[in-house]
Amino acid sequence: MCNDHHNKLTSNNRDLQKLERQIDRRHFLKKTSLGLGAIALGSLLGAEKMFGGIGQKSTEDLILDSYNKNRLGLPHHLPKAKRIIYLFQSGGPSQMDLFDHKPKLVDMFGKQLPESIIGGQRLTGMSGSQSTLPIAPSTFNFKQYGESKAWVSDAMPYLSEVVDDLCFMKGMQTDQINHTPAITFMQTGNQLPGRPSIGSWLSYGLGSDNENLPTFITLVSKNGQGQPLKASLWGNGFLPTEHQGVQFRSGKDPVLYLSDPENYDGNDRRHMLDYLGGLNDIQKDEYGDPEIQARMSQYEMAFKMQTSVPEVADLSDEPNHIFEMYGKDSRDPGTYAANCLMAIKLLEKGVKFVQLYHQGWDQHNNCPGGLKNQCKKTDQPTAALIKDLKQRGMLDDTLVIWGGEFGRTVYSQGQLTKKNYGRDHHPKAFTMWMAGAGVKPGFSYGETDDFSYNVIKDPLHVHDFHATLMHLTGVNHEKLTFKHQGRRYRLTDVHGHVVKDLLT
Amino acid sequence: MGTTFNRLHPQNLEGGIIDEEFRSEYVADRNATVSQGLLGLSYACAKCHDHKYDPISQKNYYEMYSFFNNVDETGLIPWDLATPVPAMMLPTKEQEEVLAYLETLVSDSEEKVKATTNNEKLKADKWIASNQFKKLHSQAKPDGLVAAFNFENEKLINLAGGNGKNKIRMRQQFVDNEKVILKEGAHGKGLFMNGDTWLDLDNIGIFQRSQPFSIGIQVFIPKDLETGVIFHKMNSPELHSFRGYHLKIKDNKIEALLAHVYPDNAIVVESLSDVPKEKWVQLTMTYDGSSKANGVSIYMDGEKLQTKTHFDNLYKDIVFHGLRLYGKSSPRLEPGLRIGAVWRGKGIKDATVDDLMVFNKELTEIEVLQIANPDGLDKIKKKQFSDLDETEKEKLEKYYLATNSEAYKTALKKLENNRLVLADSIDPIKQIMVMKESKHNRQTYILDRGNYDSPTDSVFPNAPEDIFPMTEDMPKNRLGLAKWITHKDNPLTARVTVNRYWQNIFGRGLVKTSEDFGNQGELPSHPALLDWLAIQFVESGWDVKALHKTIMMSSTYQQSSVISEELLALDGENKWLARGPSTRLSGEMLRDNALYASGLLNTTIGGESVRPYQPAGLWKVNGDTYVQDGEEGLYRRSMYTIWKRTVPNPTISIFDAPTRDLCTTRRQKTNTPLQALVILNDPTYIEASRVLGKQITEAKDINTGISNTFKKLTGRKISDKELELLVGLQKEEFKKFEGNLEKTKGWLQTGAFKISKTDNKALIAANAVVASTIMNADASITKR
Repeated sequence: MCNDHHNKLTSNNRDLQKLERQIDRRHFLKKTSLGLGAIALGSLLGAEKMFGGIGQKSTEDLILDSYNKNRLGLPHHLPKAKRIIYLFQSGGPSQMDLFDHKPKLVDMFGKQLPESIIGGQRLTGMSGSQSTLPIAPSTFNFKQYGESKAWVSDAMPYLSEVVDDLCFMKGMQTDQINHTPAITFMQTGNQLPGRPSIGSWLSYGLGSDNENLPTFITLVSKNGQGQPLKASLWGNGFLPTEHQGVQFRSGKDPVLYLSDPENYDGNDRRHMLDYLGGLNDIQKDEYGDPEIQARMSQYEMAFKMQTSVPEVADLSDEPNHIFEMYGKDSRDPGTYAANCLMAIKLLEKGVKFVQLYHQGWDQHNNCPGGLKNQCKKTDQPTAALIKDLKQRGMLDDTLVIWGGEFGRTVYSQGQLTKKNYGRDHHPKAFTMWMAGAGVKPGFSYGETDDFSYNVIKDPLHVHDFHATLMHLTGVNHEKLTFKHQGRRYRLTDVHGHVVKDLLT
Repeated sequence: MGTTFNRLHPQNLEGGIIDEEFRSEYVADRNATVSQGLLGLSYACAKCHDHKYDPISQKNYYEMYSFFNNVDETGLIPWDLATPVPAMMLPTKEQEEVLAYLETLVSDSEEKVKATTNNEKLKADKWIASNQFKKLHSQAKPDGLVAAFNFENEKLINLAGGNGKNKIRMRQQFVDNEKVILKEGAHGKGLFMNGDTWLDLDNIGIFQRSQPFSIGIQVFIPKDLETGVIFHKMNSPELHSFRGYHLKIKDNKIEALLAHVYPDNAIVVESLSDVPKEKWVQLTMTYDGSSKANGVSIYMDGEKLQTKTHFDNLYKDIVFHGLRLYGKSSPRLEPGLRIGAVWRGKGIKDATVDDLMVFNKELTEIEVLQIANPDGLDKIKKKQFSDLDETEKEKLEKYYLATNSEAYKTALKKLENNRLVLADSIDPIKQIMVMKESKHNRQTYILDRGNYDSPTDSVFPNAPEDIFPMTEDMPKNRLGLAKWITHKDNPLTARVTVNRYWQNIFGRGLVKTSEDFGNQGELPSHPALLDWLAIQFVESGWDVKALHKTIMMSSTYQQSSVISEELLALDGENKWLARGPSTRLSGEMLRDNALYASGLLNTTIGGESVRPYQPAGLWKVNGDTYVQDGEEGLYRRSMYTIWKRTVPNPTISIFDAPTRDLCTTRRQKTNTPLQALVILNDPTYIEASRVLGKQITEAKDINTGISNTFKKLTGRKISDKELELLVGLQKEEFKKFEGNLEKTKGWLQTGAFKISKTDNKALIAANAVVASTIMNADASITKR
């Protein structure tokens, strides 16, 4: 930690001092980790001292003015989150076995879920024809943790240690009831593939914070089981291709085709590229097309990535205590734990949006055993990531998101016993959480009924979640649009409200 | 087959989806593709409400939609990757000949059965006339019984014996050996069904479509049960498009179904009358192995029910042929007969069943009476020969043939065998999805806000009258629409088409928004030229080749693409065509160019998709494994590279190839570091560089070798400066490699092409670096 930076204020204006504290100037001055015109802000603060006062504009506006607004005029407002890590739990984790504690269910074991609760909601083709829909209370034990007294089940012992940093969203709602459309909806705002993903929109809107790495990177846990993923989840849709998520993989080539031919080293490549540059210069002299230089500069960026990517992807230099914190899986490249650790390194290097995918949360049968298994692989590294961000001083301006594409039913899919049950997809009530930049810590928003089936207070639709997420990054979700096929599209389509109650 | 493109939209096989939700999306995709691709209209904007800018109402949208809405298809496609219906078989020439031969064998043996029937008729009539039928046993068990259960105790013993290897038990998916609940039966006790747990007969009841079979069962149906499956031989029916057969109560009627892929490749018949409730009824389904609806009968209490036929087009088999879904070690999928409940489907909750019998032959009506209604048979038996009516005589005749005539039985067996050979020969034949008009004429409705479950007013097929009305000689179906689209008075089709070809060649259309000729699109830069080209195109008989020739022989196309600073400032994107085009090659062209220049390109036309180089493990994200082809698949043109929408091939997709999730008429043209990495390091390009490098060593001197390679890759002559530079590179690389042969490894060993032992490694590697440098240069990447 560099606490001295927090105390050294360059401005003698009280409002600006306050803002400086909020924005954690340390990061602004680090070359790779922050774009958004940080240096300009630094010079503005200095200039303000020289001229001894500011004009009529509000301080926020003034600071916003100082940002190097990009060609799209972004950011629209001061961002709280400079980077995002989205831990996508694919399959639909069971909210009432993890966070949404429903003690009254115990007495209703095996009873038919009342029609009044189902309320005509559609069920999937998997359990929709079941003769009975018996209530299955969770077999997990719940306790309250932290000062915030957040309920967490014993499936997640590590996460329960950091609940005071988390902002639970217990009234999540989606429109989609099956994986492929629901996960596509959660990632792109539309149930059919073809629209840009969240990360692509942010890359398009906000641009890159570093020269050596892609803006938007995805990491998929290896040996994933269960419902499939697909590249369109991190795809750019109709946005320019450079905004697509680049999948980092474990192994020799974290980025496709990164390695030069075997034994042909970086110096050799440098030599070849110099000649390539010479060849392109001749072409440029002949044709006069600036595109030729543009392409050569992409070759230079590729060359830089050949050094920077393996460096960041190589976890072997991490100290032992870090591996211990993330759990022993973190030494095994490609696991969720190793990906969490790699993610934090990428964020440190100025990657704006890192998205992890971990499959296997689809507990249609053997829910208790399946969840235990999932938590064993993810609980410790997830909690470690929060702690690690905090100790590296990054949690204040990094937004962490955890969640799946929908929740699960209170009734058992298939046979119910005292020890075992399955749960089907449930779109109309589920839990996600966020932590870090700009969201209230130790907070819980939204409430479900006694069956975790309907949201009875503060529902939070996927479109609202998207709007809020974008808001945190300085983007007005209604203003970031892209014209395609005769229509202006946006992540939230024609919906979405920023949920101010979640914000600090 | 020309209609196949209308079926090449994304389809969903995820279990549990709402079928109609996705089916309606497929129709919407067709609508968007045809209107955007052929007409340059953003019809998709009018799906939820009237178009905001163009004169396309929501009604127009659904009128167009209805052209594509009349197909016997499903939203959920088969999990085992069987071709979604409707489809067309694509036999090879050889297969065609085999099939033709086998079909004659089947029709010959059908004739033989008929002839035998006639021959044996006399004997049968004699047997009836001598009142032998009066000796028939009213409750005899007919031959061919493979399973029988009377549910008198919990043991579930097959009374027909069997081989004892079948694990007969009550089960649900994931739960074995559930409790057997007995209640009062039709005779003694019966088996009570809870609607979720089925009686699983393991391997009993697995019949192919060429095999006759019959299944009889007593059922007591509770009064509020309107839909539920009585028995089925399927595995999660909807997930597998109802592969197998079933007998089901459907809206109080009885439905018998046999399917390969429902609905187009299936037989579905349904009783006209309702099934009685709150009393014991005996139901028997019989099937004669003909793959025809009239070979399927439903009997109630021994009486054949009148039925109507919904589908009668079963042409592939109703079994899974031992399919293992999840690799060699996973269990075989093939289910056996299941009674009373369905995984993920509706069973007969609170019904009781009794006296289940399974036969491996088609029972005759007399035999059905024996198992279902002895009293009914007694009525016939009581009669004297002279009192029998014609139908009774016919029934007895059939019974005699089926049970007493060895000649008839032999002929029938022969027919069954020939049908089996035919069926087994048809199953491996590949299919292609096509459009096929349904006979059921599905009604189209305007969907409120575009939601599949909110139909409002009904609409009928029609093209947008604002463009020009359909004339009387245009039927209101896809044929009429095709006539309308290609009519000489249609102002859009030809313009949109020539504009897109212009875009392909120049990198920018005369109308820049090639997907949108509406109010939100751009106006044409050269309207008269666009019109002239469109008219020429139509008058040439839509001759695409001639159109290309016209464009490419024009002096506009053949201008130099050198850009002066002045011109760059005035017209950066070359809208006014004061210079020749310069566009980056597409991902496909880049790869094809490298393969062609090196001589690796395999010019075979047509056939199945191929699997060239691709980094290992990419398909893992959706549980699949990419198996690279041998040499025959490595060097085909890129258009043959397999398309997997969920994980596209990176060699091509990194260069902006669309994902094909949506109709795209205009590709992006981006410039990214990932693209640089592809041409630098993708095995396709390294290998082609090596082949070219080897060719350079074979040229008469280094200058000639490099000059030739340059020309092959860029299509133009190398300049002196360029040559000098590359010769310099070659020398330095050679020196380096010679001093350290290890460094040649990647250059020489990436990809399948092998150099020979006598080749000079350092020289080939150095030349490969030169070839690769040219390949990565603007001169190769950009067409100027």
